[in-house]
Amino acid sequence: MKHIVSLTALSLLMSAGSALAHHSFSAEYDENKPIQLTGKVTEMKWSNPHGWIYLDVEDENGQVTNWALETSAANGLIRRGWRKEDLPPGTVLKVEGWQARNGSPTGNIRSVTFEDGRRLFAGTSNQNVREDEK
Amino acid sequence: MGNESLNNDRSRSSVAYGRAIAGLVLSLWCAMGYAQNIPRTPDGKPDLQGIWKAEASAIAALQTNAAAGDMNAVASVVQGNIPYQEWAVTQRQTNFANRLAEDPLNKCYLPGVPRIMALDYPYQIFQTEAHVAMTFQWTQVFRLIPLTEEPSLYEGVEAWMGRARGRWEGDTLVVELKDFNDRSWLDASGNFHSAALTVTERYSMIDEDTIRYEATINDPEVYSEPWTLSYELERQKDLVRLMEYQCQAEKEELSGDFERDERTWYPAPIPEENVAFDATAGRELPLPQPTGTIRRLPDGTPDISGYYMADAGGANYGLESADNRFLTPNSRGVIVDPEHGGLPYQDWARAERLDREKPHRGYDDPTAHCFVAGVPRSHYVPSPFFIIQAKDFVVVLHERMSWRQISLTRTEHLPDDIRLWQGDSIGRWEGDTLVVESSNFNGKAWLNESGDVISHMQKVRETFTPVDENTVIYRATISDPIPYTRPWTIEMPFNRSEDELLEVACLEDNNDLQHLKDVRDEWRAAQQAN
Repeated sequence: MKHIVSLTALSLLMSAGSALAHHSFSAEYDENKPIQLTGKVTEMKWSNPHGWIYLDVEDENGQVTNWALETSAANGLIRRGWRKEDLPPGTVLKVEGWQARNGSPTGNIRSVTFEDGRRLFAGTSNQNVREDEK
Repeated sequence: MGNESLNNDRSRSSVAYGRAIAGLVLSLWCAMGYAQNIPRTPDGKPDLQGIWKAEASAIAALQTNAAAGDMNAVASVVQGNIPYQEWAVTQRQTNFANRLAEDPLNKCYLPGVPRIMALDYPYQIFQTEAHVAMTFQWTQVFRLIPLTEEPSLYEGVEAWMGRARGRWEGDTLVVELKDFNDRSWLDASGNFHSAALTVTERYSMIDEDTIRYEATINDPEVYSEPWTLSYELERQKDLVRLMEYQCQAEKEELSGDFERDERTWYPAPIPEENVAFDATAGRELPLPQPTGTIRRLPDGTPDISGYYMADAGGANYGLESADNRFLTPNSRGVIVDPEHGGLPYQDWARAERLDREKPHRGYDDPTAHCFVAGVPRSHYVPSPFFIIQAKDFVVVLHERMSWRQISLTRTEHLPDDIRLWQGDSIGRWEGDTLVVESSNFNGKAWLNESGDVISHMQKVRETFTPVDENTVIYRATISDPIPYTRPWTIEMPFNRSEDELLEVACLEDNNDLQHLKDVRDEWRAAQQAN
């Protein structure tokens, strides 16, 4: 179970950070505020029922904003073989999702891609993914 | 007279001799770790099952303290002093000074082990040959201790409550714990540990109403050597069952952060506008038939114990079928009665359900606050759960931290004015189906994130029917005359697999609630401005 699943295989299984909910996502995030961000991981919180990736994102003026990006439950990631050390600070990620309604640098992300194209999450539309893994 | 006296003396001395031998055997027996006059399970192990609580002196602080504002002076439960390293003495003093603000327990966070054993709330121990489970009244925390030397699938994954493995050494239950995080305290006076903590617990039954509890604490980052605390656990004989104390929910109800719903919470009346509830409506659903061999306990009862995940088809987002949701999975619809798959709402309750889908109502879902999901939602939240079949009980441990205990021996529900998040469940086996009747709900739960409505008047009849080695077909029929016009039934398979529960420390890392509150408050402000 531990680390035996390759990242390629994982990318097929991974689903978005948007589904396994203990609260209404549509209440918290704005359908009309899609986001696409690239930045460096400052921290990953392996928490439940949702994990959080914190990403330093630099805008065109060189100003850096630390985004809090909500993922699926840490337990789902752990069950699929991911561990803390797999996402160290400094890792460059490209994410897609939606911004919080309150306008803060907070988002719910459904797609996470590494620099080399590997994906951490595959998207909520995959209905074959077990419910606790969405 | 003399002879009689002599005979009596002789017989007395032979009795005394016999007693001495018996005493010697007893001492040897005890020295080998075997206790007399204690209840035992059929496999000969001490039967620790029942409701317990730590003796009073263990509760607030581990070591003798002068009474300090919030704390009584207590007798020490530690042998000698806690052997802190020099830096750690200072840290502990800082913790003590800041204890009201900093004690994680004051924030209702998971207490860790061994602290949870010393809280002033009772807990219940369940035992099988493979597991010891503990359910705690405090915030419905549970512990599941596999009695195995096998390593966990999740070695190294940190948890507030650590990762446990247990074994019997003679008559003593020994539990080894590791993989703690560094966030819990050991008591209310600021005694602390690091993530290097390991704990060895020993449970020894002294008599049928007393367990000697011992915990050896080892943490090379904080202490210079291992140290031990010990106290007694006392059987709580007068309790009909373990109740609930939801730390955070109680707090938020007091502060107003979690608002009362006058239409659903106990003791809301049936609304006058309601059409009459037709308790007899509904079709007779034949029980699911086995499609393969089912597992059985030695006495022939179906064995439904183990790790399960519901194939709930998005029930946590809506019981009726729905598609094209934003950021939320679709629902396949799990309602099997009425046949059309829609919920038989009263008009006002359908309107309330639609209102609850609006963004400003997201804050009102109790699970967004990390509160208990209720019945039947706890089974499809969606997180896995573990079923234990112990003496007189079927116990369900829900990974998204809560438990249900289903009594197989009680015949009457609690008095009507006792109301619980998970209700009061009484079960029985009818053939190979576990039938569970539940009432005494508090009406605070929602049925899912979309806000399907349930009230304190809900009565739930559940059936758990194993149909093959790894599948239980679950049905729940809800009768609730406040939001509905008639009873209705959901059905879904529970799939068993060889996996382990992890920990869900929801409240401890809940970043969402403030956002949801902001959305609500903004909406309210706009309403007021208009």
